[in-house]
Amino acid sequence: MKTTFKEEEKNFVMYFEGRLDTAASAEVEKSMAPLYECSGHDIVLDCTALEYISSSGLRLFLGLLKAAKPKGSHVYLRNMNEDLRQVFAMTGFINLFEFI
Amino acid sequence: MRLSPHCEALLQEFIDLRPQLIQLDNKVFELLQTTMQQQGIELNSIEHRIKGVESLAGKLERKGEKYHSLSDITDLIGLRIVTFYTDDVDKVAAIVSQLFDIDWSNSVDKRKLHDFNSFGYNSLHYICQLHEGSIPFEIQIRTALQHTWSAIEHDIGYKGAVKLPPQYRRQFSRLAGMLELADDEFSRLRTTMTEYRRQIQTLVKSGNLSDVTLSTDSFRSYLELHPFERLNQRIAAVNQAELFPASLMPFLRVLEHFGMESLGDVQAMVDDLSDTAYQLALSQLAVTDLDILSESVGLQNLCVVYALKHGGGRDDVKMIYDTLYGANESNAILADAMIRQYKAIGQKQ
Repeated sequence: MKTTFKEEEKNFVMYFEGRLDTAASAEVEKSMAPLYECSGHDIVLDCTALEYISSSGLRLFLGLLKAAKPKGSHVYLRNMNEDLRQVFAMTGFINLFEFI
Repeated sequence: MRLSPHCEALLQEFIDLRPQLIQLDNKVFELLQTTMQQQGIELNSIEHRIKGVESLAGKLERKGEKYHSLSDITDLIGLRIVTFYTDDVDKVAAIVSQLFDIDWSNSVDKRKLHDFNSFGYNSLHYICQLHEGSIPFEIQIRTALQHTWSAIEHDIGYKGAVKLPPQYRRQFSRLAGMLELADDEFSRLRTTMTEYRRQIQTLVKSGNLSDVTLSTDSFRSYLELHPFERLNQRIAAVNQAELFPASLMPFLRVLEHFGMESLGDVQAMVDDLSDTAYQLALSQLAVTDLDILSESVGLQNLCVVYALKHGGGRDDVKMIYDTLYGANESNAILADAMIRQYKAIGQKQ
């Protein structure tokens, strides 16, 4: 599992590549730390190359959303494939995030 | 500007006293703000100011000789509490009279100064002191509409040296009358709405759900009964999942789209379709290890089952997702997947 953090046009963007499963989540959580300093920035989680997301991954995304909302930052999920989108629908979390 | 020696002395005393006035002004403002919050009174605003040196000099020039000392000038500190509702003016006034000592002989209720056939400036002016004694300060209390009228009247009416002819003054009076009527109507509306909410809550609690029209207020009261909790817990038990809090209010639009008219219709859906909704959720979740779910999961599955049981198809399921998540072509793919699952649990479309 690989993550890359970039600042693009005032947005904090994180690229996810591979399988975000329980084994990968601790490492990914650390790499997501800069996203928590998001005051004045929106966050884009680029899922173009994300192949799988487990409950641990969902928790990371939800934790970030919970931290970003009070700061007025939006969290966008970009280019998520249909299978992953279905996971978000199945769990009822789809309406918490904004998909682009 | 030429001032008499007496007035010059008063002005200088005021300049020397300003730091203390600022302190008192802030103290009174903070006390008012905190108390109104504690009492749950929502206000349009609380304004506060210290009289400007220029403004006081002007006042002294005009009528300085009638003031023996600075404490005879009661508006050196001025605060204005602007309420949304006319009922709240009296409530705020009662609180103010508890918080401070009121100099009733110099306080005015302008609302009582009007004859039954005249309209105009409506505001309460209280001259106050701290209980422990202080420089007097003035608190004005009025509604937002009175405030608007007064600000415009002040802006137009006192500008320039030309005295306004009576017909223009009459126009202001007519507007004041209209706003007084509007103030009363807003208050009446608030009372009616509070009463309606109370009735709905009583009906919901007593279980007469078919008598309660489906609306934002009634659905909110209904949700306080946690009608989907049992279904959510059954679904969560599939993977021993944690339930993440979520607002269910967005589903109101879906239920309305189904043509549901009362809370009884919603409850009938819960009673009749919870088993199928559980089966549908089970068929999706059992093959995963997802152990975190949103509290919307039960109602979402109920809505899908309701749509399909009532002869709906792909477009109807897509409508649910479009309503909840925003229109998106990907929602058609979600709808197809849901219909496949629905058929997989032995349900006919």
